[in-house]
Amino acid sequence: MAMTGSKKRIRQHGCGFSSAWLVQLGVLILTGLGGLDSSRTAMAQEPAEAEYRAARERLVREHIANPPFGARFAVRDSAVLAAMQTVPRHRFVPEDLIGVAYEDRPLPIGHGQTISQPFIVASMTEILAVGPEDRVLEIGTGSGYQAAVLAEIVAAVLTIEIVEPLAESARIRLKRLGYENVTVRTGDGYFGWENEAPFDGIIVTAAASHIPPPLLDQLRPGARMVIPVGPPFQVQTLMLVEKGLDGKIIQRGLMPVRFVPFTRSE
Amino acid sequence: MSSRSRAFVRLHVPILLIGGVGIAFEIALMRVFSIAQWHHFAYMIISVAMLGFAASGTAVALLRYRLAGRERVFLAAGSLALSISLLACYYASQKVPFDTFRLVTEPVQIRHLAVLYLTLAIPFFLASWCITLGLLLDRGRVGRLYAFNMAGSGLGAVGVVGLLFLVQPSAVPWLLTIPATLAFALIASGLHRRWLLGLALPLTLLLLVDEPVRLSEYKGLSYALRLPGAEIVAETQSPISQLTAVSAAAIRETPGQLSGYPMGELGELPEQIGLYFDGGSGSVVSRFDGSLEPFAFLDYVTGALPYQITNRPEVLVVGSGGGVEVLSALRHDARGVTALEVDPGVPRLMRSVLREFSGALYERDDVTLVLAEGRGYLEGRAEAEFDLIQVALLDSFSAASAGVYALAESYLYTAEAIVLYLSRLSPDGILSITRWLKTPPRDAVKLFATMVEAAERSGIDDPTRHLAFVRSWNTGTIILSRSPLADRQIHAIRAFADERGLDLSYLPGIEPEDTNRFTILEDEIYHQAALAVLSDERREFYRDYAFHVRPATDDRPHFFRFFRWRSLPRFLEAARGGWFNFVEWGYVALLATVLQAAVLGFLLVVLPLILFARGIDLGERTGVALYFGALGFAFMFLEIAFIQRLMLFLAYPVYAVSVVLASFLIFAGIGSYAADRWMARDRERRAEWLRLVRIATLAIGAIGLAYLVLLPAAFRLGAGWPDAGRILLSVAVLAPLCFFMGIPFPAGLQLLSDRSPKLVPWAWGLNGAASVLGATLATLVAVHLGFRVVVLVSFGLYASAAFTVRRIAA
Repeated sequence: MAMTGSKKRIRQHGCGFSSAWLVQLGVLILTGLGGLDSSRTAMAQEPAEAEYRAARERLVREHIANPPFGARFAVRDSAVLAAMQTVPRHRFVPEDLIGVAYEDRPLPIGHGQTISQPFIVASMTEILAVGPEDRVLEIGTGSGYQAAVLAEIVAAVLTIEIVEPLAESARIRLKRLGYENVTVRTGDGYFGWENEAPFDGIIVTAAASHIPPPLLDQLRPGARMVIPVGPPFQVQTLMLVEKGLDGKIIQRGLMPVRFVPFTRSE
Repeated sequence: MSSRSRAFVRLHVPILLIGGVGIAFEIALMRVFSIAQWHHFAYMIISVAMLGFAASGTAVALLRYRLAGRERVFLAAGSLALSISLLACYYASQKVPFDTFRLVTEPVQIRHLAVLYLTLAIPFFLASWCITLGLLLDRGRVGRLYAFNMAGSGLGAVGVVGLLFLVQPSAVPWLLTIPATLAFALIASGLHRRWLLGLALPLTLLLLVDEPVRLSEYKGLSYALRLPGAEIVAETQSPISQLTAVSAAAIRETPGQLSGYPMGELGELPEQIGLYFDGGSGSVVSRFDGSLEPFAFLDYVTGALPYQITNRPEVLVVGSGGGVEVLSALRHDARGVTALEVDPGVPRLMRSVLREFSGALYERDDVTLVLAEGRGYLEGRAEAEFDLIQVALLDSFSAASAGVYALAESYLYTAEAIVLYLSRLSPDGILSITRWLKTPPRDAVKLFATMVEAAERSGIDDPTRHLAFVRSWNTGTIILSRSPLADRQIHAIRAFADERGLDLSYLPGIEPEDTNRFTILEDEIYHQAALAVLSDERREFYRDYAFHVRPATDDRPHFFRFFRWRSLPRFLEAARGGWFNFVEWGYVALLATVLQAAVLGFLLVVLPLILFARGIDLGERTGVALYFGALGFAFMFLEIAFIQRLMLFLAYPVYAVSVVLASFLIFAGIGSYAADRWMARDRERRAEWLRLVRIATLAIGAIGLAYLVLLPAAFRLGAGWPDAGRILLSVAVLAPLCFFMGIPFPAGLQLLSDRSPKLVPWAWGLNGAASVLGATLATLVAVHLGFRVVVLVSFGLYASAAFTVRRIAA
């Protein structure tokens, strides 16, 4: 590393730099920078699948079926809970984060994308209210985790990812895990997937300043669209878009955590 | 060469250069990290790194016996190391995989942050090392050396701002290596010839290192560049921002939700080029061929609200960026549009690379582009000039929702600003402001409150008849009309909302059943809050609301700060289970900065002073700490307060920062030099020095108090002047105050130098630590108590210094 080299040069050259204090500083810097390469969390030992399953069960039990922030938010749909129990999230996170795969939080997967918090994934899946006959469109595949959870519940998941390397790795991963009913497409999700429309549910995970109108058109009357809203690593609102049987659009802002900033005095 | 001119060339000129390099490096790093990360984290990183400045005082104090008699050699070594460290440390800092967004989820990021602090502290440590040794070498004339350091810093501050018009911030460390190397060469010219071999090191680095800024993967520009077919079509820079224009088919930004836009019928959005300011998303330029038909989508955003009730208006757009609001005005039959833009990069690109693409939008007969900030521009205009003033959506949705601007002063959204907007409107004119909505509601609530307050200040008897508030799921547009809204206008607004599927949160005569129809919120807080603000329960509402939504004022212009300590338990309750959704990163970063600076400052400076300064009277140590600490705080408090005040007057933050920094440093340097000259004969007379300090502090207090009364008048007088005139007036105002502010510190150092020279480096370190902490604390005080309090605290500190100065040389 160039930095290391130049620091050494200072020490060799700076004749008067014999002070222990400065050497100490140098050592700190060297170890600090050297540590960067080893920053990847070394997994002690790969735990057996059984341990992952146990961690997954705990996650579902303690964070999804009984979230610590209130029973009101608990995910109750048994198909969703079963799916969360089944999909191996540790296979969807970067290697160095496997150790925290079953904590209830979002994790970075590179390319500015994250794998969502498990609770949010479960919650969105439940809100989408889809069943075994349904076909779901997802915009923003990311790691493919949400698609896998959906695939456990519905007939087919069609998912579009705009970042080529993400789409590629999700495709390989989902195939390896045996998700035959998921189709990953690389491309711009703005226009949806017209020749497969209409869909019985749509999830849009890509942040946007507006809901792409073509997606609304591709939503079957009576079906739902869910959009998590917030900056990376945060979900501030879940937008639920309902298309009435008459084609009328109603949106609902669902707070994942109910926080009432204002109570009118009586 | 006489010995005097030799000293000048080998000591004073290098110190001048090093002073300039230090501050220029600081400003350049601020820019680098504002681009790489976010503004307030940049502030945090640089503030902590600046403690390197203080640490070197401690290091010199601890090493004083080893250094004794060899100061010149250590000065040469320090300056050589400095010339190497600028590029080396900048390079290393761009290799550290730190990302602010991941701070919460990955503990390893804390280590990266620590490495970043340490790496960046090195150049500041070395610069300060050289200056401290200079102070020891020029023991008898401390004031003179200090004056050179200050003058150099002042020139560095102005110089780097000029430089940033020409080069990207990433090039600045490279360029600064040249004066730093020159400083070393001058110092080494007095030593053995083999020292000059050292020149090879910085010169080699100059050949090898060319490192661009490492952009966070979570910034808008990073996202844009990952899109298929993304291409940078132009780049330009100014001290305000680095502006990058990117074209990609998948860029489709709109000023908010397109509610009910029939894309199948009216067509897709026109092709866009994204504009990214400092790597964050800001604005888009649309392909425009003179036909406004492709812009039908602009009728479907909340920002179209004011056009429902105006007829061929004369429009002012504040913050026009890529021109979407200008197009909207044209589409809605504006008679003429005046577009204000602060960033000089925008017109530069729009008139060159993007001219054809944008259909020469800013060169049309009915569009006038003015490079100006809203307040400054309007102060200089006549009344009743516009029928509609539109304050555009200035930031991106993602940046707004992350709360990264929590501490940015914004003089566009204060009560005084809105009073000004109203006064420049025609009698039936309308002010319209659109904001991204946040969950839970904050921005739009505060904006509504501020507009009500401004309406009352403007003499509007019954504001309930003058306001309307329409929202989609992600934007809210609030209008304030100079005249009461007529019934037909109210009907038009109702029809608009109904047709577009937008929700009414406030309108004269609104009933609960009119609200929450299309984007249904669990609690329609916007409506409830609007009613509360307009009722006599306003006070209770401000008191009880979980966020800080009291109107922003010029004294407390932090519109984007919503955090309240009172609500902390409620936030924590909501945060259980890993929710960080209400965090305002700007505020957290500032708080973290203050805490870190306090702890590190204590560890690096105060603790060693307690532990190792044996043989020095405790009373004297306390005296030194109180005196130099108070001066550090007081100086920075005034500096920050003046930057804030001038930001409004000079209209450009970058002018304000460079005018204040340069004036403070240069005139303080002159003051310090003058004091040194006055005392040339009475140098040994302690009583004379004490008297000088008292006179100076008295003068600071007198001038300062006079300013509190007179400055508003002076600034009103100069409001309409051209830039150069306002800058000159600012400098003239600052000069006398800064002149006297330059005296107490070197006077104290001289006193110390005569009696307890070993405490000089410590005094330097203490002052450095207090300055860093002072700068961050000043912001925190301003956020909560206002800038007036910052100024008053500073005077209190100068007064205390006048009393403690006796103790440092007792």
